[in-house]
Order: sequence, then C-alpha cells, then structure tokens
Amino acid sequence: MMMNKPADISREPSRESAIDIRFGQVGLVQVRIRTTDPGAILDELTGRIATAPRFFERTAVCLDLSGLEKSPDVAEVRGVIDAVKRAGMLSIGLTTGSLGVEALSGALQIPVLSHFRPQNQPVPVVQPAPQPAESAGLPALMHHQTVRSGQRVYARNRDLVVTAMVSAGAEVMADGCVHIYGPLRGRAMAGAREDVTARVFCHEFHAELVSIAGVFRVFETIPPDLAGKPVQAWLDGDKLNFSRIGG
Amino acid sequence: MTEIIVVTSGKGGVGKTTTSASLSCGLARRGKKVAVIDFDIGLRNLDLIMGCERRVVYDFVNVIQGDCTLKQALIKDKRIETLYVLAASQTRDKDALSPEGVRRVLDELAADGFDYVICDSPAGIEKGAHLAMYFADRAVVVVNPEVSSVRDSDRILGLLASKTQRAEQGNGGVKEHLLLTRYSPRRVATGEMMSVNDVKEILGLDVIGVVPESTDVLSASNAGVPVILNEESDASRAYDDAVARLLGESLPLRFVDEQKKGFFARLFGG
Repeated sequence: MMMNKPADISREPSRESAIDIRFGQVGLVQVRIRTTDPGAILDELTGRIATAPRFFERTAVCLDLSGLEKSPDVAEVRGVIDAVKRAGMLSIGLTTGSLGVEALSGALQIPVLSHFRPQNQPVPVVQPAPQPAESAGLPALMHHQTVRSGQRVYARNRDLVVTAMVSAGAEVMADGCVHIYGPLRGRAMAGAREDVTARVFCHEFHAELVSIAGVFRVFETIPPDLAGKPVQAWLDGDKLNFSRIGG
Repeated sequence: MTEIIVVTSGKGGVGKTTTSASLSCGLARRGKKVAVIDFDIGLRNLDLIMGCERRVVYDFVNVIQGDCTLKQALIKDKRIETLYVLAASQTRDKDALSPEGVRRVLDELAADGFDYVICDSPAGIEKGAHLAMYFADRAVVVVNPEVSSVRDSDRILGLLASKTQRAEQGNGGVKEHLLLTRYSPRRVATGEMMSVNDVKEILGLDVIGVVPESTDVLSASNAGVPVILNEESDASRAYDDAVARLLGESLPLRFVDEQKKGFFARLFGG
C-alpha cells in the first residue's frame, strides 16, 4: 500500500556528530500473502508488476502474514522473502497482527512494522481520524504554485489544497483530504496516515495514481468517463471508488 | 541593471545552445550590451555556434580560478559591437565551477554595465545546470514538442521554482518563459507532434517563441553563424520575435500554422 513519504526534515547541518538521526515516513507497499508457496507468490507478483513495472522496481515491501491459515515457520517466510526479492521488490518488515510474528521477526532479523492495519480485520467504513485533536484544528495547507514533475507536497495532519496543476511525475499527499483545483496529472494520496474517510478531489482528472489510506490504483489509461473531468475518489471498505462530481 | 537569463531545458539536444546564441545576438543587435556564457564545462559548444572557437584563449573556468581577468576571457563578437562570449573549458569538468566563482563573474559583468547575461545551461539537472540557473532573473525553457522533452522541462521548471536564489529569497521567483523549437506545423496537423497549445497546457506557461523546424539551423551551426543572423530563414524571424517578446513587445505567434494552400489548391480542394 502506498503510504506517506516525506516528513518535515530539519536541514540543520551538524558539524559535531558523525550521524544525524531523523524521523521520516516512507512509501511502503504491503504484500499480503495467502500462501507460503514461493512459486505461486513469484508468479502472481510478476504478473501484477507487469502492469506497472517501474512503479514496483526495488520497492520496499512489508509482508502481511495475516492472510495465512496457520502461522508460518521461519523457513517458509524466508522462502517468501526470497520470492518477493526475485520479483524485484525488497521485504523490509512484517506487519503486526498475526500470531507468532514477533518470534519470526527475531529469527529473521527483520523488523515488525506496527502502523499497518492488517486487512483481515473488518475495515470500519467511518473511522475517526487517528489523532482527532491534532488534525481537527489545523487549517488546510495551501499550495498556489504548479507542483512540477519530481516535486512533492505533503500536508501533515491536515488537508491539502492545491490551486494550480499537479504535473505528471509530481506527488501531492495529505493526512487528510487532497483538493486540487486544476489538472491532476501526477499522483495524489489522501489519508496518508490511514484516515479511511479522506478523499481526493480534482478539477481535471488525468492521474497516474490515486491512493487513500494506503489503498491505491495505478492508471495506465484513464477511463474515458473520468478523463479530464472533475472527479472525486473515496474508500468504501477496501474498494477505491471514483466518480465525476459537479455534473 | 543587469538581467541574467538562463537558457535551459533538462533534456539534451533540444536547441539550448542555438537558442542562447540567437537570443544573445538578437538582444545585442537591438543595442543591448550582452554577454553569453557557456556553462557546459567539458563539452564546449557555444563558441562553435558563435563562430569564435579559434579565438578562445581563456575560458570561464580560468576566470573563476583566477588564471586571468574577466576582460581577457571575454571574446568580442566580430559582427555585433556589443556582444561578448565567455567560452566553457573543454579540458575541465563541471566540478571546476563553484557558486562563489559564478557569482563573482556575474557581479563583475554587472559592474561592467552589461544589460543582459545569457547563461547557456548544460543538459541534465546536475551541478552545471544548477549553477547556470541559480542566479537567474528569468529563464527561457527550451522545449521540443514531444513528451520526453516536455516532461524534462516540467522538472526543470520545478527546480527553477525551488532551487534558485530568487526562489530561496522569496522575491518573486524566476520569471519563466517557454520557447518551442523544431516545431513542424505539418506534423502537428497530422497528429505526429504535440501542438503549441498541448505544450502550453501541460506546462501551464505562456510561449515566448515558436521556432519552426528548419534546415537553416543546422547549416547555421556548421557555419558558426547564429541562425538569427540568416535573414532569409523562418527560424531567424521566429527568434527575432522571441527577442522582441523578451523585451516586452507583444507580437502574434508566427509559423505555428501549416502554410496556406495556394489559390489553385484551394479552388480544386487539393
């Protein structure tokens, strides 16, 4: 699942210390497996990746083991990690929420990442934002310049309003909703910290990718009924919906 | 007041150097005192297009490193009184440029009373391109009507809006202009090429000039005469229009439509 990428990173150069430890958020793809058969996983991953090859190239992925019927052993998970690697992606963690994951984490020397919502739990359709006190008060982040290819705008704990266009290859992201009063040709991610009620709105839809609370869709071709139209996207359970707005 | 204009594109081979040469000639021909600087260290080309390659003794890097004075390195154009060329070094690499050094040269040109300094950027988004744009007041983004060039230009426009002195100081940013080169109205009409309007829409900027695809450009380059000086050529007229627009005149775009059919062709619906 696509997650939030940058955080406010201070640019203070440090002259004394050998390292700087910074806190940031990264993009992560979540791979939920229903089998530990490496062949089946490799086949299916390769097939999926073929639809958007560059998007998944050396992508960091987090393995979600919660879809398995019984807890896998270390060798099985190692086989899965290897299959994922052969498909071109790199496993960097396990999601919490499944039995025995702590033990596997210790044995495989791979971290457990706690912020993922394991998908076998029912998704609440209406869920209060994770930090209501924090997110409620902040006004939207206003961005009035074109977001160009290679640029990224992130509205932390709030909505993002872009009054210009978002070019192909650009990324706009918010923990709340994303509103774009112009063409959206790049990627838009709302609910970057798992607010499933967040939405993406744009004035002219040509998006490369839209994601809400980690559920994303890549547009290799734009459906003709949405192309160039005002569109909103929202999440219903695990399904990402798109529709025209304003007639 | 010296105005620094960077000619940039991201993508290579779209016509940055040709454009730098023609714009600087055009401005100088209108009486402005102009210096044109080649920032493509290691791949020096501008002197060839300007036809002064045999007169390069000292170059930009020599000035920055203090091997010579700026006056010694500036090559005076033989055709236009007020035009000077500062060549790139062929033997160094881009690391020879430093921000302080570039600033010093630009400051010195300003002190010498230059009206315009044209910075011919190398392709790419690395150090050379970064330094070429960093001190700019305006930018001419050269773009070919095809998707990869447009995408790269978009990237460059993003850098102009964030990684320049004007952007960092927050005083209005760099003023951006688009210049389309190698435009072929015929291929636009058949749908093979993006139109001026397609490019304008994707990049969200106004166009300061459209230079038609022309064999005159190549022959001008080979002859070391900036194409703007070939009065017979459409490319020359298009560049001259762009110069006028840079100076604030408003002119309709030329050479964007397919040439009108002749009377008989129209009569017989040919």
